[in-house]
Amino acid sequence: MKAAPSSSLVYRHNRVTRSTHWINTLALMILFMSGLQIFNAHPYLYWGSTSDPERAFFSIGAAGDEGDPRGYVQLYGGQIDTTGYLGVQQGAFGPSARAFPSWLTIPGYYSLADARRWHFFFGWMFALNGLLYVFYNLAVGHLRKFFFTVSDAKRAPAMVAYYLHLRKQSPQQGEYNPLQKMAYTSVFVILTPLILLSGMAMSPQLDVAFHWLPALFGGRQSARAFHFILAFGFLSFVFGHVFMVLTQGVFNNMRSMTTGWYREKALPEAEPARAPVEPVAAIEQDAAPAVIGESTVLTKQEEETTEAPAPISSNETPSVALPAVEKGENKDEDQS
Amino acid sequence: MKINPELSRRRLILGALNSAALFALSGCQNIFDALSQNQTVQSILTSAESANRRVQRALAGRNKLAQEFSEKYISPTFRANGNPPPITMDYAEDAKNHWSKWRLEVNGLVRQPAHFSLAELESMPSRTQITRHDCVEGWSVIGKWKGVRLEEVINRVQPTASARYVVFHCMDTDGDGNLYYESIDLVDAVHPQTILAYELNDRPLPVDNGAPLRLRVENQLGYKHAKYIHALEFVASLDKLGKGKGGYWEDQGYEWYAGI
Repeated sequence: MKAAPSSSLVYRHNRVTRSTHWINTLALMILFMSGLQIFNAHPYLYWGSTSDPERAFFSIGAAGDEGDPRGYVQLYGGQIDTTGYLGVQQGAFGPSARAFPSWLTIPGYYSLADARRWHFFFGWMFALNGLLYVFYNLAVGHLRKFFFTVSDAKRAPAMVAYYLHLRKQSPQQGEYNPLQKMAYTSVFVILTPLILLSGMAMSPQLDVAFHWLPALFGGRQSARAFHFILAFGFLSFVFGHVFMVLTQGVFNNMRSMTTGWYREKALPEAEPARAPVEPVAAIEQDAAPAVIGESTVLTKQEEETTEAPAPISSNETPSVALPAVEKGENKDEDQS
Repeated sequence: MKINPELSRRRLILGALNSAALFALSGCQNIFDALSQNQTVQSILTSAESANRRVQRALAGRNKLAQEFSEKYISPTFRANGNPPPITMDYAEDAKNHWSKWRLEVNGLVRQPAHFSLAELESMPSRTQITRHDCVEGWSVIGKWKGVRLEEVINRVQPTASARYVVFHCMDTDGDGNLYYESIDLVDAVHPQTILAYELNDRPLPVDNGAPLRLRVENQLGYKHAKYIHALEFVASLDKLGKGKGGYWEDQGYEWYAGI
């Protein structure tokens, strides 16, 4: 029997990262679903400033006779039948035209007014939460750890090869691998700014303030189209993110995003222990019992710090060995 | 047997995740529907409205103009939305007679209540602008408008110090007979591009687009641009009008501040 590989707990996510992550999760879900409801009010997309009906490049609609309408999705000249999914929804009173079905929208009943309220409130939440995250983590140096650089770009093909089992050794250096860095960085510097700006470009008052805002996207209707497409960019990131969490150790990843502690495989002896250089500072800040109004979190935090002091202070000391039963159950969890 | 504390915690978290996922799939919609109709939740969500108003107005300033376009950008048809044109006999008859009977009544908290015929409004200094109209539903059209600046009218009737809003009383009704109305505050009312328009694309305002007179308030969404106007009323508060929210659509849950 092979000895269980040694591993250690590292403090990976500071408190601000963890709380903003979950606020962001909620905000993105509500923004996406209320956004689909808003789209339902006019399920067409155009390029340019205006929306001449015959110039829509994308639409979701219903056609055919009233008793048995067919749902369709149209993109430029092509059209596919989406009856049962998009365009038509079966309700208590028979089929009705509805681009995105109730179960995908907030609220589920048709209300553009309510959807807008959800959307704008959580738009502020998303923006302010994101600013808090970025400024805090710039200050403590956390963002640096997964900012995609030229050297990461060079290592990215090797990482792809590693994932495809074409290469044994992971080219990863540091806490995040090149592909993770690429994904996160593109969300930070491309998706997020563009979705905020394209959303703002739809506001008539902000267009008065900044004439360049709709022009940046090629007109207000183009901004609306970009906003829609970028929302699905976020959705695909979320799918990828959740897929990675599910396959790379649900428990370990969920623990690190709730308590901060991530179990990491011990590194080969040749490499000096990658002591959590940055986390020490973060831990000290985080564990300081100065936060008011967070008593439950605080207790949890205290429990964590007393429970697992070894991995923080000493990566040199033998790390915590995993019980065999645990390994058997979750052998995937140390692979990320 | 000693239970591994980490293991039991793991079960707990996994169990919680599992039920959260089920909950999300089956109950998500009901929860958000219930929350959407909860008064407390609504009042929290609407806090974004005043944030939008304050921040956006601070960014735009009071006199900055909405983008104006050249003639070639004018949309082939200016989409008409909302209520059908007024169906009263008077309206139809007056439409045929070039609005000879129609008068714009201006009253409320003003020193000099007045009324204006269409010809009188047309003889006042006018402004012409080619602007983009953005509907709350998401579509946009560009049209060329000519009208009298609302500030001109304001200067003639002289609102009192307590007047804060201009209310637009309209002639069109919904299917239940409720009259359309709208309101803007005096900040937007004196914006250089806020006009009472009587021409669209160099022709008298068509019936579908709000003849004989409609509002253009270019920094706000379409539903603020009241059509078929017959009276302006200056008020200190919107509480006594309709359901008290300041407009026909506002009474149905849309924001009074429609700059977004």
